[in-house]
Parts: sequence; C-alpha cells; structure tokens
Amino acid sequence: MSASIRVERAGVRFVFDRQSRRVSPTMAQLRRRSLEVWGIREITCSIGPGESVALIGASGAGKTTLLRTLGGVYAPDEGMVDVRGRIGTLLSVEAGLLSPLTGRENAVLIGVLNGLSRRRARAALPEVHAGSGLGESFDRPVGSYSEGMRARLGYAVAEQAEPNVLLLDEVHEALDHEFRDTVEASARRLLAAGGIVVAAGHDHLLLERLCTRALLLQEGRLVADGEFEEIRSRYLAEEGL
Amino acid sequence: MGTLALARPILHAIDRAASRVDLLLALSQADLRSRYGRGPWRVVKWLLDPFALVGVYLLLVTFVLHRAGAAPGLSLACAVIPFQLVMTTVTNAMSTIAYRRAIILNMSFNRTLLPVSAVLTELIAFAGSLLLFVLMMAAYGVAPSLAALWLPVVIAVSVAFSIGVAYPAALFGAWFPDLRPFAISFVRILFFVAPGLVPLAAIPGRAQDLVRLNPLTGIFEGYRDALLYGRRPAAWELVYPLAVGAVLLVSFVPVYRLEQRQFAKIVE
Repeated sequence: MSASIRVERAGVRFVFDRQSRRVSPTMAQLRRRSLEVWGIREITCSIGPGESVALIGASGAGKTTLLRTLGGVYAPDEGMVDVRGRIGTLLSVEAGLLSPLTGRENAVLIGVLNGLSRRRARAALPEVHAGSGLGESFDRPVGSYSEGMRARLGYAVAEQAEPNVLLLDEVHEALDHEFRDTVEASARRLLAAGGIVVAAGHDHLLLERLCTRALLLQEGRLVADGEFEEIRSRYLAEEGL
Repeated sequence: MGTLALARPILHAIDRAASRVDLLLALSQADLRSRYGRGPWRVVKWLLDPFALVGVYLLLVTFVLHRAGAAPGLSLACAVIPFQLVMTTVTNAMSTIAYRRAIILNMSFNRTLLPVSAVLTELIAFAGSLLLFVLMMAAYGVAPSLAALWLPVVIAVSVAFSIGVAYPAALFGAWFPDLRPFAISFVRILFFVAPGLVPLAAIPGRAQDLVRLNPLTGIFEGYRDALLYGRRPAAWELVYPLAVGAVLLVSFVPVYRLEQRQFAKIVE
C-alpha cells in the first residue's frame, strides 16, 4: 500500500471541567460548566509518498496534537483525517512503554498491539533487541531506563511493524547521536521506498536532517506550508529568535 | 473459484478472531506481570486475599455473631472466592485505561478488549484461589457429590457477570478517577447485602426477598449448592446474574466503544 496523508479542516478539542481537569465530551454534557479548548483547528494539508515533513511551532502550537491525530491516537472532532499505510509512532516521552514490564515484554505487547500475532512478535524479538542496542538492559524493567533508552526501545519496536508512515514527536530528541544516525538512515530507507515521515520538535538541526518540507503551526492553526528552510526562517523571525 | 470466494470471509473471520485472542492474551499477560509481579511469590499474592478474608469472616461469624451454621468456612469460601473475582475485576478495570496511558498516548489500537483483559488477568488469581474450596471441603469432611459437576457452570456465570461489570467499571474509572475508592466501597457493600457471611436460608423474612435482588446472591448460592449442599443450583441463581451481566454489557459496551475514541484526551 502506498503511503499518503490527507487532512481536511481537521480540528481536535479538549474539554476541561471547573477544576481544569480534562473530561470527555460525554462527561462535559453532564457537568454544569466546562471549558472547551481547540488543540488544532481548520488544519488542511496533504502529504504524499516519499515526503518528509517537519511540524514547527512554539510549545502549545498544536504539533503533538496534530501528530497524535495523524497517528489515530486522537479522533478528530471536526473535519477529516485519512492516513493510508502502516503507521509507526514515537509520540510520548514514555515512548508507549509500560514501566513495570521489561524491554522484551514491552516489545511483545506493542508488537501485538501493532497487529502482529504473538508468535510473530516473539520471533521478531532478536531483531528488536539488536535494533535497540540495549544489550542486557533489554531484560530489565523499563522503569529503570533513561529517557534515551526508552526512545531507543520505542523506536526499535515501532520499526518492528515495518511502518511506511513514521510519526516522531520530540521524544526522538532524547536519542543519543549514534542512534540518531540509525533513525535517520532508516527514515531515508522508508522515504526511498515511498513512505512518509512526519516529525515535530524544537531541535531544528535534527529536523533539517530528516525533513525537506515543514508546516508552521500557531495556536492550533496551520499558518504556513513550504520548504523546510523557508518555514524555519519565518518561524525564527516571528518568534524574534 | 466459488468455494474460494465463499471461504474467504470465513478465513477472514477466523483471522480476526485469532488476532483478538492474541491481543487479549498479550494484554492480560502484561497486566498479570504488572499487578502481581514475577516469580513464585505471586502465587502467594493470589491466594493471600481470599484465604485471609475467609479466615477473618470465619472468626466473625463464629465468635462474634455466633451464626456459624454448617461448614461455615466452606460456606464463606463459596461467597468470598467469587466475590474476589468481581471485586478485583472492578478494581483492575477502573484503572485499566489510566494504567495503559503510555500506550494509549503513543499509538492507535483496539481498546475494546481492555476491560475483558482485566477479567482474564483476575481469572488467573481466581483459578488459584479455587484451592481454598478443596481445603475447606477436606477440613469439614464434605465429600463432593454429583452436584459438583455444576461448578463449571457456576464459574462461567460468575465470569460472565464479571465481564458485564468490567465495562461500566472501566468507564467509571475513566470518567471519575477521584471516585474510584467510593466505587470499591460500593462493591464491598454489595457483598454484605448478599448472603456473603451467612447463607440465604439463614436470612429471615422479607430481607431474604430483598437480598435476592442482588445478583451476587445467585452466584454465592450457586457455589453453595454445587459444593456444600450437594444439589443442582436453582435456575434463578444462574439466570439472574447472567441476565444482569448481559444487560450491563448491552448497555455499556456501545457507550465504551464510543467513548474509547476520547480516552487519549482524558488520560493525559
């Protein structure tokens, strides 16, 4: 299946109760007062095979919300999001890993959640182990890992599903330089095979190495879409950096 | 060609069922390690709660309430063991979404099976605690009769009821995380407004009719019939809890399926 992303007037809203706790829309209907905040709104864009796109913007601009919507983590409350292809994600600081489980156990669990059978997920363990470069730590509970180790394992597990749409949030910035090269190399392979990479973060040098195109987000809205360098310069100028 | 076209949807359905079973087993296996740890000591954890509860309640009914009746330890086990399954299911299901926060925020997957995986996890501990029946029957010299063949049916009813309870519990835990302790207290109250400490026959008059409205009553009495009284469980003891479980499933699974789209927004 060739990879593609199409987003039309997509919006994701968060609802808060009087104590500023996030509540679901169903609960908001039962409560007397609630506050609605749109994480992203009116986002329209499309990304084709072989494209690598950076999401740029200040904190709270909607980068993570957009990435999570593309990854199917958030359902859009308005508009439409259509992502074609197998999705691999690294979208949270915890890298989708459960702390009490070992690296090995997490790899099996996430492999199955990604759609592999348990047998295939177990068969892929030597590859994930080698890919993560965690050595003996692979059999230690993830709770004892550093952020970088989690990101390494999270990436190796995401790769196990052989994605052709790779979504990376700031967590990949936690990776050490050696592993960044590994991520970059596999992202290039994925792009060469017609896949898509969408990455968000504040490390523009890292993003520049991965992405040729960028989307600039401000207060949840898409304000510019173009060549990476052009968008980055505009962002830095607007932020006075 | 025609046969192949006919077989395709069947093969597809088998494939889907197999992947759901795999997902359920993977979730429960992970849950089991997180909740009960590893190594031989986890068996002790499974057994500790039901054994301790039966011990405490036995002291209570024998020495404080003076209502021991026949084989009180076995009678109590018939209530405590299935109740523990319901109780631990509710506790587990209420935190099942929050516990998997890291995964929910990182990837899209079918979350419909999360409450069932909570039941499956607790079933392992439940299976371990069945040993208590054997010990109590031996201690009171109660020989298993033919009625013991109803035990798998009674167990199936308690599992079905627990699955029914797991969905509203998971939603409650997601919607009202601060109120989880109250929900646990509510379930505990259900034990005491059922024939938990003493059998149904020992509850007098109108109170007995009222206690029958509690679905746990049928479950507790079903175990007692099969193991203690040596008779076939009455139809209502099986049908009523099953019906309550089915009503809960029919009412809450659609809500859960709708609401699961919002889980990532509320667990952060």
